[in-house]
Formats: sequence, C-alpha cells, structure tokens
Amino acid sequence: MYSIIVVPPRTPEDRQDRGQIRLAPGERLRFGRASGNELVIPHDGVSRRAGELSAQGAFWILSNLSARQTYVVENPEGAGEHIKVGPGRLDAPIPFEFSRIVLPAAGDLLTIEVWAPRHDYLRGEGGPDGETTAPAFSVDRTKRYFAVLAALCEPRLRGDPHAPLPTVDQVVDRLRAAWPAASRTSVQWNIDYLAVKLRLKPGPETADTGPRLNGKKESLVSLALRFDLVREDDLVVLSPSGSASRAAR
Amino acid sequence: MTEPYAVPVPRGYRVGVWEVREPIATGAFGSVYTGRRTADGTGGDSDGTGGDDRERPRTAALKFLPTGTGTPRQLSHLRELIEREVGLLRRLRRPRLIRMYETLVVDDPARPELDGATVLVLEKAEHSLSAQLRTAPRPSAGPALLAQICEGLAQLHHAGWVHGDLKPANVLLMKDGSARLTDFNMAAELEGTHAYTPAFSTPDYTPPELLWSEIGERGRRIRPSADVWAFGVLAHLVLTDSFPLPGGTPTARRDAAAAYARGTDELRLSPELPDAWREIVRDCLTRTHGDRIGTDALLRRVESAAGTGRSPRLPRSLLPRRRRTAVAVGSAVATVAVAALGYGVSDWAGTGGTGPRDPAAVYGAAELRTDQGVPVRYRRLIVDSAHACLQREVTPALIAAMLKTESNFDPDLSDPSVPGGGEYGIARWTPKVLRWWIRADGVPASATPSPPLSPAVSIPAMARYLCYIDPRLKTSLTGDRRVLLAASYRTSYEKVNDTGGVPPKYRDYAARVAHYLKEYTPPGRT
Repeated sequence: MYSIIVVPPRTPEDRQDRGQIRLAPGERLRFGRASGNELVIPHDGVSRRAGELSAQGAFWILSNLSARQTYVVENPEGAGEHIKVGPGRLDAPIPFEFSRIVLPAAGDLLTIEVWAPRHDYLRGEGGPDGETTAPAFSVDRTKRYFAVLAALCEPRLRGDPHAPLPTVDQVVDRLRAAWPAASRTSVQWNIDYLAVKLRLKPGPETADTGPRLNGKKESLVSLALRFDLVREDDLVVLSPSGSASRAAR
Repeated sequence: MTEPYAVPVPRGYRVGVWEVREPIATGAFGSVYTGRRTADGTGGDSDGTGGDDRERPRTAALKFLPTGTGTPRQLSHLRELIEREVGLLRRLRRPRLIRMYETLVVDDPARPELDGATVLVLEKAEHSLSAQLRTAPRPSAGPALLAQICEGLAQLHHAGWVHGDLKPANVLLMKDGSARLTDFNMAAELEGTHAYTPAFSTPDYTPPELLWSEIGERGRRIRPSADVWAFGVLAHLVLTDSFPLPGGTPTARRDAAAAYARGTDELRLSPELPDAWREIVRDCLTRTHGDRIGTDALLRRVESAAGTGRSPRLPRSLLPRRRRTAVAVGSAVATVAVAALGYGVSDWAGTGGTGPRDPAAVYGAAELRTDQGVPVRYRRLIVDSAHACLQREVTPALIAAMLKTESNFDPDLSDPSVPGGGEYGIARWTPKVLRWWIRADGVPASATPSPPLSPAVSIPAMARYLCYIDPRLKTSLTGDRRVLLAASYRTSYEKVNDTGGVPPKYRDYAARVAHYLKEYTPPGRT
C-alpha cells in the first residue's frame, strides 16, 4: 500500500543496486549521517540529522533539519522546475511525480530520488468526484513514461494486434523526434518505472529458469491496451508537435 | 459545448419495441433513458412469446452502452464491462437484483454515435439510493433498506458472484420503496475464493487491501469480503449521513483507510450510529479481509438490527449449479441475447425455445456452439480458460477443437508409449512440458506432475501455453493463425516458424483441428 518510493544516493561503497525504500501514507523516513536515521548517508558533509521526508497520501513532504544548508528539490522532467527548502523549514509539500533532492555536501552534490507514482490525473470527462467509478490507473499524458508506453503500444494500436513489440532501441529511435535526449538507459528506466506505477505483478521471470511467460514489455502493453490507457489519439505524443503541446502545458 | 449524456439519444427514438423517453441518469459507461413499450410490442407477435410479452412491462429503463463507436481497440474495455453485466443478468434472476428483460443492439448507420450501441432493457426504478440520500439524508426506512441491500448481496454471493462496485448510486429504489442492486459492470464470478474484476473502483467504497493493489493481466483479484467492506461504508452513510473514515475529500478518506489498515489509526465511527449497527459496521470494516464478517452472518445480524425478521433461507436450488428452476422463466430469452451483439437490432424474445435450459449447457454460447457435441461438463472450463488469455486467437472454439482432435474429449487418455514421457489426459499433455504451464501465476511447478492429469488442470494449462505461443509466431506466416497455434502446440512454435507454416508431418492434425474449429464456431464469427 506504499505511495512513495525513495532511491538513496549513490555512494562509493555500493556500486550496483541502490535499493529502494517504499513508504505508505503517513510513514516517515529520517535521513542524515548519524546511525539513528532510517536512511544513513555516510558523507562528512551531511548533517547528523539532515532531514525527514514523509508520505502524505499520494504526495510527500520534506523537512530540512540542517542548520545552514538549503536543499533543492528538482523535477528532472520539468525543464528547470524546482523548489528550495531552506534550513529549518518543516513539512514543505513537494508536488512533483519525480523529484531529485539535491543535498550540498562539502563540495559534492548528493541526490536522493523520490518517486510519487500514485499521483492522480483526470481521465476523460469524469470529474474528481468520489462517487465516480474510476479506473485504478492514473497516468500523466505529459510525462516521458507515457510517451514510452505509447511507443510500445503503437504497432498494435495501428491495427495489427499481433505486431511484435518494438525493441528498446526502436523505441529510442521513435521517440527521438519529440525527446532528443532519449537513450537506451532512459527508456529502460521508464519501462521499469511503468511496471512499478501500473503495479504489474512481479513477473514469473523472477522465479526459476525456463521459458519466460511474459516479458515486462509484453505485460505492460497488454495491460495498457486492455484498460485503454493508451488510445490511438494519444499517439500524438510521439510526434514533435505533440511534444510542443506538452511543453506548453 | 459539453454533452451531458455519454450516449445522447433523441426523445422518441425507437429501438426494438421501445420508444425512448426522458433521460434518467448517465454513468461512467453509458446512459439510461426511460423506455415506453410501443403498441406493436403488445400484440401481433405474441405467438409463442406470450410468456415474455406478459413479462415485458409498459415502461422500462433503457441502458445505452456505446459499444459501436470508435475503433475496436478504443473501446475494448467497455465491451468487456458490458459482457460482464449482461453475463450476470442473463444468468441470475434474484428478487433483490435488478431484472433484465432483453438486450438489443442498435442498427442505425445514419447515426454513427448510436450505431452498434448495446441496449439493456431493465426494470424501471423510481430513483437511486444516492438521489434519495441527497434530498433526504438519514431516511427513516434506512435500516429496512440496508436489510434489503444486504439480502441482495447474499443472493449474489450465494450464486457465486462478487458485485465489486457497491455504492448508493448502484442501489435502486422501486415504486414500492424496496431496494434492488444494479450496475454489474464490475461483477465477477468467483473462481474458488476470489474473482477477477476490471481495474476500476469507487475510492470511498474500496477496501484498503484493494487500494493500489497489484494488477495482473486478468484484472485485479477481489473477494466477496470487498462487497462486505463497501456495505459497511454504505450502512454508515445511510444511518449517519457521513463516511466512516475521516476526511473532507475521497483522497483524504482513502489515505485514512490506508492508515487505518496499517494499524496507525483506529476506527472512530460516528456517535450517531446505534449500538447494534456500530458492531455490524465495525465487523464489516475490519483491517484485513480475513477478519470481515461473512455475508450470511452479516445478513442475520442486519435483519435483526433492522427488525425486519429473517428472510426466508435461500433455497438449495439457488445455490450455484443447482439453479435450474430459479432461472427457468425468461432465461431462454436472455441466454441467446449475447449472441445478438453485432447482428443489428434483434428482438430475441421467443427464439430461445420454451423449456428450462441448463445454464451450463449454453455457457459461452456466443463463442462456442451448443449443438456440436462439445461435452457440457467442459464448456465452462474451455470458455473461461480461453478468456483468461488476451490473445484474440485463443478462443473457446479453438480449445474445444484441439481437445476433440487430441483426445476426443477423453479425460482418461493414457499413452505412455509416446517418446519423451508419454501423453496423458484430455489435452494429451506430456507431463514434463505441462510442468511449465500448470500454475496460473506463470511460475513453473516445482516438480513434474504425474498422471492422471485432470481436465481442470489440462485445459487451463493448454490455454496458457497457446497464449504464450501466439505472440511468438511470426506475423508473416500465412494460413489460419489458430490452426498454426494448434500445430505449434503439437510440435513447437520454432518448428512452425522455421517451416513457414504447418510442418508436413502435422498436416493431418492441423486439418482435423481446422475441421472442428469450423464446426464449433457459431455462425457469423470467424
């Protein structure tokens, strides 16, 4: 029932998987250099009690407990959108679905990533009314993950229900017009994020060897098509003009 | 300009014997209008349909579901939701569930926005419980209404279904003040302890375990206890005009439900709630589904709290698989109605024969013929297994044709001489291959199963394997894809891909599958 995912900063010690911490609404996570924190950041430039972040429903709030450092929370997809949280500021609400907390630490800049995959978005003509029967998925059509999902679904939406799914490289090529910086890594990252966001059951590939029943991409596409998360008229996000309208929003 | 109705239908529009009158409501998936039966719907065609005509009232509620517009892809989820509702209504007739008289399909190319729409002709109610609560909260008849709603839930659960979207808007009040459950788009038939419903819900009535729950390709897993939670919320709302969980918005209440389920918050019910009801609501709103009160026990307690006395025990004949007599009247109309989807406006009253029919014998009749010797006892397994796969080619008719070809529907087939470990059961599984497909969650079994292999194991596994093969067959292959699938099942998809079609050795097999596929497929479908 978690609503927030925290990806700790990369440190020299752990080279590979940084792990993820999942927070349910109301849960708090203290971070800092001291060992009493749930998230210990072993860097001399970080305060012993550096801060605390806490999940509030679908969004999260940040408290800056340091004495003199200002933390910046950036929206990596937001063309420079950011929030400054000054020293001593408690419970600052953060509105982004993706965030990067930048902690200045003695010349280094450490980053903690925070994802809020449960943000709600208006779908179609229905209002934000609790009485309405609403789909369980909420996607932001202006985000990159949506463009990636659209690119994955495109061959099947264009009419051939059996079309093979595009490879990651093909997706990168397809998105380049609207998203020049697209790369294999960033597309794969978005695919992994979609699996989290759409709450795909962990695939059978995590257990045992043998034929893989469903790849992640295959599951994402069949889910998206089954629940109409991507429709033909959404394919406009793949064109450069689609991206212009995205930027305008 | 915004359209107030998802499906605008002009007043006076004719569909079947019905004339459209004023709009009643519009929901997330369609719009409901009053329908008046026209004069030619009363006499004339009464030959052989007398029973049905007498059953058709003067006015009804016409629910228009926009199945016809847009491309098939755009509305695939709508079609699935409608099939759920029609599927339930045509199989269940219970006093506390809204009644369906017939289904129609609009054939009107001149009106593309209406052409192809499915119309459910339903019992007409006065208004919904949510409309009543808006004008007159805390109705004095509240306890009695709750007893009837709970009775409806018990009838549904006894028949093996979960509602999945119980809320005031889906409770209708009839002229005599009695309540009926409606809107079965989310309803799902239980498979053991749980069912799969589409991933839609109404936040205020969703139990905490389903908030942000994992969703597989078949939708989300739901248990009857989800309806019990929703009933607890609804009872609190009816009796106190407030939600049981605190918060000014559905989002805030959703978070409160999450916090409560995690154990960080207690349940604080309204002090206005009478003591007897407090205990009932508390037992509905437990943190985990396992602690929630069962529907039968709930019904007894609700009836005693409401002072309405015990409802008659549900007769055995209402239990699943024994409901022959309960659905006899009128079911013949409804069972064939689904076959009407896509064939223009059709009035199916009277075409279904007169005697009672076993629902199992016509299960999935729209996709699998009932008169070609597919054994009735396997119909449900075949149809449900095929539906569990999203690939369009994996159809009930294909699975039935393959079972016929593999074993002539012989569940005891045993052929130990086949190299590689022998072949067994209705689907002629080689046990060490079956191991990969035997589990519904896609994880291989830890050990190779040993014969006998029951149909309940063999048939769903066959569908799973076909579902795996389908996306791996080259799109460039020519010929009927379903037959190619069958050939791949017999040999392997790599062989079929390499050969560029059915390998010569399996042409006989493929020809037999093709033959039965044709026999088992209802006319008009491909």
